[in-house]
Amino acid sequence: MPLLVPCPGCGAREVAEFSYGGESNKRSAQDAPPSDLARYLFFRRNLAGEQVEWWYHRDGCQRWFLARRDTRTNVFAQTSWPRETASPLAGEGRGAG
Amino acid sequence: MDRLAPSPAEVLDRTRRLTFSLDGRALTAFNGDTVGSAMAANGVTITARSFKYHRPRGLFCMTGACASCLCTVDGVPNVRSCLEPVRDGMRVRRQNAWPSADHDLLRAFDRGSAGLPAGFYYKLGQRPRFLWPMAEPVVRRVAGLGRVPHDRTPQHADRITLHVDTLVIGGGRAGLIAARDAARAGKRTLLLESRPELGGRLRSSTRPVNGSGLPAYQIAAQLDGEAREAGVEIRLQTPAIGVFEGPLVAAAAPDALLRIHPSEIVVATGALEQPAMFVNNDLPGIMLAEGVDRLLTLYGVLPGRRAVVVAYGQEGQETAASLRAAGAQVQVVNPPMETVVRAIGGARLRAVVIESRTGTRQIPCDLLVIGGLLAPSTNLVAQAGARLRYDDAAHWFVPAELPGYLRVVGRAAGQPRTPACSPPTPVPSHGKQFTCLCMDVTVKEMAHAIKEGFDSIELLKRYTTLSMGPCQGKACLQASVGVTAHLTQQTIAVTGTPTARAPWTPVSLATLAAGHLTPRKETAMHDRHVEAGAAFMWAGDWRRPHHYRDPGAECEAVHERVAVIDVSSLGKFRVKGPDAVALLERLYPGRVQDLKVLRIRYGAMLNDQGVILDDGTICRLGDDEFYVTTTTGGTSAMDQWMRWWLADWGLNVELVNLSGGFAALNLAGPRSREVMERVCAFDVGARALPYLAAARGDLAGVEALVLRIGFVGELSYEIHVPSAFGEHVWDAIMQAGADFGIAPFGMEAQRILRLEKQHVIVGQDTDALSTPYGAGLGWMVKGDKPDFLGRRSLEIARETGPAERLVGFTIEAGAVPPEGAAIIDGNRPVGRVTSSRWSARHQGGIGLGWVPSAWAEDGHTFEIVYDGRRATAKVALQPFYDPQGKRLRS
Repeated sequence: MPLLVPCPGCGAREVAEFSYGGESNKRSAQDAPPSDLARYLFFRRNLAGEQVEWWYHRDGCQRWFLARRDTRTNVFAQTSWPRETASPLAGEGRGAG
Repeated sequence: MDRLAPSPAEVLDRTRRLTFSLDGRALTAFNGDTVGSAMAANGVTITARSFKYHRPRGLFCMTGACASCLCTVDGVPNVRSCLEPVRDGMRVRRQNAWPSADHDLLRAFDRGSAGLPAGFYYKLGQRPRFLWPMAEPVVRRVAGLGRVPHDRTPQHADRITLHVDTLVIGGGRAGLIAARDAARAGKRTLLLESRPELGGRLRSSTRPVNGSGLPAYQIAAQLDGEAREAGVEIRLQTPAIGVFEGPLVAAAAPDALLRIHPSEIVVATGALEQPAMFVNNDLPGIMLAEGVDRLLTLYGVLPGRRAVVVAYGQEGQETAASLRAAGAQVQVVNPPMETVVRAIGGARLRAVVIESRTGTRQIPCDLLVIGGLLAPSTNLVAQAGARLRYDDAAHWFVPAELPGYLRVVGRAAGQPRTPACSPPTPVPSHGKQFTCLCMDVTVKEMAHAIKEGFDSIELLKRYTTLSMGPCQGKACLQASVGVTAHLTQQTIAVTGTPTARAPWTPVSLATLAAGHLTPRKETAMHDRHVEAGAAFMWAGDWRRPHHYRDPGAECEAVHERVAVIDVSSLGKFRVKGPDAVALLERLYPGRVQDLKVLRIRYGAMLNDQGVILDDGTICRLGDDEFYVTTTTGGTSAMDQWMRWWLADWGLNVELVNLSGGFAALNLAGPRSREVMERVCAFDVGARALPYLAAARGDLAGVEALVLRIGFVGELSYEIHVPSAFGEHVWDAIMQAGADFGIAPFGMEAQRILRLEKQHVIVGQDTDALSTPYGAGLGWMVKGDKPDFLGRRSLEIARETGPAERLVGFTIEAGAVPPEGAAIIDGNRPVGRVTSSRWSARHQGGIGLGWVPSAWAEDGHTFEIVYDGRRATAKVALQPFYDPQGKRLRS
């Protein structure tokens, strides 16, 4: 577990302090057809490139945040709190609320 | 001890004598000696027996690279004795020899080595098959390095994380200069050096350095001083073992694993001296030049009186001069005009055979020095992702295409250009020529393996274990590649090198395990359980009492009188804020909004697939405040889970994990109310505090939260108090209940009791496919709520209905099939037992298990198969004990 993860609250910390939450994924609506539900629950894009994903600073501030990371190089282009409206990542969460 | 006259370059404190033992024999050393130098000073020439053939080996590299001096030191196997400082009273044993390193009868393997061809462990005793169980223990006994200690001496290593601007690996000339300059430029600089002293090659050399007029070792001291003055942090005896993505560098300090995050890495690992190829090139008395320099200069030891120096380059000439200055007779051999073809000797070198155009001659000697075969040390550079390029002038691979954060300086980069010596090739002569000293791989075995088809360096490495020993190629890489190229008639460039991998230097298991602590959590009442004679078990990270006495008797105490169990390990959360109701309404499938203050509801949390993740209780403490409990094992996962959705939904809620801060105990049994009355300053009567109600108030002088819930099926109270008062409250309750015969009960009794009630344990009775409908918890799902996690999935699941259902069952004829046993239909497995126990109340075996939905009706019989036996079970949908729950609610 080599890389450093830039927590928006705590700064760059060892990845071992974090839990990975997977790529961000829009939650299907309550009246959506089963195919939409299945896509949300079971399908992932598995991108080779920059993707928006969830991270949890488990052994730090215990907050979840969104990050844009290149899956090929592990370079974090950006991180932000999920509800930070000024951030380019705003609205990239599951959008269930 | 036999020493040279004291010299200002030495590292010894000759005023302090130390005593240590070697295989039980007392030896003396000076303070500053390493085990290796002290052995040499005491005339010990055999430092170890070899891996496979039990051939005698002596000090060879004296730089920590090779495996020829690995010893067991104070019970720790495979210690590099040439770098290990002597401590007073140290016990050193030489390895892999029987009965002793000096007279090893297992040397027979050398003479009979036709029986140990390349890949022998893939072949020996494998056919006929039945021989292998007999052959394997013999192979394991006679081959190998040190023995793993049996006394389980605990070893501890810390894990230290460091963030620096510049990391310099290697404290020789180039490394010291790079570190000094980086620190002077204002960078936080860390320097790692694997040896006990800085200066590298300079440190053991007394030659005057061009221009300065100072001897080399003084230049080393000067650079050392400049680096320290510039503020470089220096760690000695700390080899870097790997470079990983990030970049992250792992290094093994004497008692810690360092995880270093540098912005920039400077690799200054120098060049590694390589051995030459000739017959018997492993005899004690054959050494690499730098090792000889170190013995002479640092430790005042003359390793031989009649020396032959093979001078491939400048290094050899200098070592020859140093040996002469120390009083040895020296003959210099100059390749390629002259070559060594054979060494002669037994326990020690006696002579070498030299071949030249003019003929063959034999020179008697007790020391043969191989000087100047240098290979840039590029392993770490290659690990970092650099490409290695074959350099025609260097006859070797040099780093090319480096990652942006990495620089290579000094000899590791092939600078200054090392003299052009092509990698060694074997001499055409009979007898053992070792390519790999660590693993006892000879040229003949390599030829044999190549003939069998293992003709690429990577395959050859795996088949013969070439370069896979403790040196990891440090003392054999060039020879391995050179000999392979020669045997396969390929060029060096085409032959290539095996992939570089961590660990570059062998590390102890303690180092690898560094920082991996197993947390052990004890509750506030732990000492009381110990005093009561509890047998403990692991429950996640917690130590919890399994039982205090017979679990059946503990169950009876709950049923008949009153008993208490420590449930402090439960997850406990305060959920508070204007959106607390909104959060819980979405996290739980049940209703929360209409829950009255100081009322409790059971709740399971589901994921969006509708699968049960965890369960517990929700107690409303105020309009916007709740106290939520989770299972012991699910605490941290649920903490993370709840925070995830909280973050995503952006609700205004404060979530506080109180799990460690609160102790909890469950007082259960028909007499529990009477006990409560004695310790509580508030009304605990059936009307004031009915089932599923909560109260807050003074309990034994402590502000407590009391929940009337019952996992074990009797009248019961779950008492939550700050951990600091846990023991006090435990004592108060035990004292108040003494007249009633109160007793503690453990997890085993609790499991029997809850099974009698068919209460589900999430994670034991449910798995990653269990929905509330299958698990018999469909009643808690309020599908008319607009949204909650799992709602949409459950809506669909409800239409089809669960294929399997979790049901209670009784087992005939007193059998108790183990948990996990298969439930079968004919011979087809269709379900499984998730919980089973003997119930004294029921006088029989009872259980919970998953069966096809069609079977989920009272009285349906089915078969369970276990241990080759079959048992008949009968479905019982109602709890086995108090099915109406009258006692629970009383």
